[in-house]
Amino acid sequence: MNEQFRISQKLGLMFRPEETLPVDIKSWAIKQLKVPSPVLGTETVHSEIKPWPKSLQPNLEDRAAMMRLHWENTKKRRQKIKGYDTEAARQANDRDNRMHKKDMLKFAHQNVYGSDQVRQRLVSFWTNHFTMGGFESRELSSHAMEEGILGSFNDSFASMLYKATTHPAMLMYLDNHISAGPNSNHVRWARSRNEQAGLNDNLGRELLELHTVSPDVNYTETDIRNAAKVLAGWGMDVQGNSPQNLIEQAGTINHWDMYKKNWAEPGSKVVLGKTIYQGKQGLKQLTDFLATHDHTINHLSFKLAEHFVRDDPQQADIDYISNAWRQGNGSMEKIHTAVIERAIDSKEPKFQWPMTWLFQVIRLTDSRYFKGWSEVDTYLNRTMETRRIFEELGQSFWVTRQPNGYSSKKEDWMSGEMFERRIRFSESIYNSGARIIDPDVIMDRIGANKETRRLLTSLGMSRRNQFIALMCSPELMGLENA
Amino acid sequence: MHNYKLTRRDFLKASGASLFLSGIPLPGFTSDEPPGNISVIILEGGMDGLTAVPPFGDPNLSKMRESLVPENYLKLNSFFGLHPSLKKLSSFMASNNASIVHATSFPYKKRSHFEGQNLVEGGGLSPFSEKTGWLGRSLELAKIPGRALSLDMPLILRGYSENDNFFPANIQNSNRINNNLVDSLSKAHNKESGKVFQKVKQKSMERLGNIPRDAESLAEYAGNAMSKNGGPVASVIRLDAFDTHASQGDGEGKDLGVELAKVDNVIAAYRRGLGSAWDRSIIMTITEFGRTVAMNGTWGTDHGYGTVGLLAGGAIKKSRVIAKWPGLAKNEQYEQRDLMATIDYRSVCAACIEKSLGLDHDVIASQVFFDSKLPRVFDYIFT
Repeated sequence: MNEQFRISQKLGLMFRPEETLPVDIKSWAIKQLKVPSPVLGTETVHSEIKPWPKSLQPNLEDRAAMMRLHWENTKKRRQKIKGYDTEAARQANDRDNRMHKKDMLKFAHQNVYGSDQVRQRLVSFWTNHFTMGGFESRELSSHAMEEGILGSFNDSFASMLYKATTHPAMLMYLDNHISAGPNSNHVRWARSRNEQAGLNDNLGRELLELHTVSPDVNYTETDIRNAAKVLAGWGMDVQGNSPQNLIEQAGTINHWDMYKKNWAEPGSKVVLGKTIYQGKQGLKQLTDFLATHDHTINHLSFKLAEHFVRDDPQQADIDYISNAWRQGNGSMEKIHTAVIERAIDSKEPKFQWPMTWLFQVIRLTDSRYFKGWSEVDTYLNRTMETRRIFEELGQSFWVTRQPNGYSSKKEDWMSGEMFERRIRFSESIYNSGARIIDPDVIMDRIGANKETRRLLTSLGMSRRNQFIALMCSPELMGLENA
Repeated sequence: MHNYKLTRRDFLKASGASLFLSGIPLPGFTSDEPPGNISVIILEGGMDGLTAVPPFGDPNLSKMRESLVPENYLKLNSFFGLHPSLKKLSSFMASNNASIVHATSFPYKKRSHFEGQNLVEGGGLSPFSEKTGWLGRSLELAKIPGRALSLDMPLILRGYSENDNFFPANIQNSNRINNNLVDSLSKAHNKESGKVFQKVKQKSMERLGNIPRDAESLAEYAGNAMSKNGGPVASVIRLDAFDTHASQGDGEGKDLGVELAKVDNVIAAYRRGLGSAWDRSIIMTITEFGRTVAMNGTWGTDHGYGTVGLLAGGAIKKSRVIAKWPGLAKNEQYEQRDLMATIDYRSVCAACIEKSLGLDHDVIASQVFFDSKLPRVFDYIFT
């Protein structure tokens, strides 16, 4: 492959046919960190590419209102109140007040139609790192992805960590919104009414274990418990709380700044040797401390290297990134620049996630494989449901099994079944979505090597088979011999 | 009492249960029939053994976890009861085809899901030390190559390089796989990925009918497949939703009770599918850790250590509750918070392998679990 495609395979999503191949790929990649990210997509499968309507991109307040309304309607339906208990009403409720289907499609559109491909790869990486699964969270995770993660790309990691930790999607996913300090007012009052209330250490644990320092730092159960105590009070359930409730308990209707004083644990807490003072600012103290901790920097530099540079990252890879991290004081731009530079310098190809491969194939062939935003609730004969596409790939952000997200290791994706999926998707794209189906045209654009050309020639005249073979060639799969 | 909506993690139904079948003989490969078959039910999240099998004979039980003890538990003996959701397991126990191991765990104490899961599937001496799994290595030692029915290849089954997987695809506008194409792809790739493509070809030559997606149907399907001549020798079902940090509940209708009922149904479904092959079958649960003795602040429990293992199958001839009971008093708990583990669960796994695959305990200890000193508990379970 020519250098432009080699780099855009490792760091991006490959070039669409209308995009001009940059001459200086390294400076292009680094400049990509600053390009704007308008959300582009299509209204129907085959219509022109244009910006997503604002009405389909509600802010957090509007999303919360939709969730409350959906819940109210659902309760009325369960109580069999007239007008709310019909199938039509149920479908209208889902259609009008649920966002996850549109969000999933928007994510797909951004990746296949956008020109900010390197940023999108980084967004996917960090969103996977800060996995926010769960039933209610899936109505909010897109907001976290855009405002919390992408929104921090010009800031520091400390800023991203705080935003991710305090986002309602995360707080609800890991049960923090119902966690109360053992000595909080809330627990005292609950006890006096003979009710149960207290601490839940789920987010406290994952904050240390997955998001920052990792078990390698040898935190103790006390550290985890104290982290949970710092977190206690943050978050309120979104769909079940009226704006009145929110003001009463936290003094705000902003779910991203939702701190219930009466649920907080008084006193200071010690986490990994650091004293955190009581009060609302305690959490920022903790996340700032964790964000700059040596183990965090090493842990996350490793993950970045493993995802973008090579499967078995060398110490030199990790050091390159972690040095830039430290020297830049956690500046996301400096970190990302280092990742880009290191990925370019390493000549090894990198096997990509199924979802990344799919986006790359679609862009390469100018395919229309996803529905348009006006078709989210329509059954289309020749275009699969978005959720099904991700399911069949074995990868979806909105339905993740566990908080540790998807592996970046090749060996976790090397199964006959996963490979068969790629063959099938290649064929499906050829049959129903691709606008550029001539393998020779594609090979010329990417500068395919002679092994790839030989492979296609060996398949005889069938253009379909050649197309499939090209998409599943070692070169396009990011495997050896590329 | 609750003036806010309690939520717990919810997973899409299709991913709430996954089935993996292994040891399906590849066409053209002959081997001696192993003595039996083995099924592992992985309970992801850390299953609370004290709710599943409450030790009501322990004076500290109700003191420590009042709202979590099911009232109408089924009585097993003078000390242990069974959660009311485990009705079918209870009847298997009554007919001497099921046993329970209590206060047991893999030797992992750090309470992380991801390290824990990796360890109970990998069976190594520390998390992430192995790239293969204990069941995969056992099948390899027993010279049973095989195929796994799954989209991904779970760690527990990775081992023998001939192992591969299969899971019917449902992708619009794609047709039958062209074998010549796959052949060419296989040759074009390097050894490692070339082999993976070969598996695509082998699998496409078989038809496996309609595979269901819910846990119970998967278990029945698996049992049925294992009962046939030349059928798979091992199966793995993965159930999630056991990480009961919040609102765990006590009785049948509550969160953990609902999940335990699923386990109960899965075991019963295996029984139905296996038919007469039940006599040489063993089914066992594994989970990464148990949970805290005391309840936490949100009507649930946090990560812990000791827990239970549920065993069922005709290979068991006499039902027992196998435990060296450590006690629930604060000073008897592990680190004053968790149920202590007094039996190494690896020994239980080893016994089940010994029974179903006919391997020698010492071989299993040293080559599957890399611990030649692993105690043998075969006689407690299978005599």
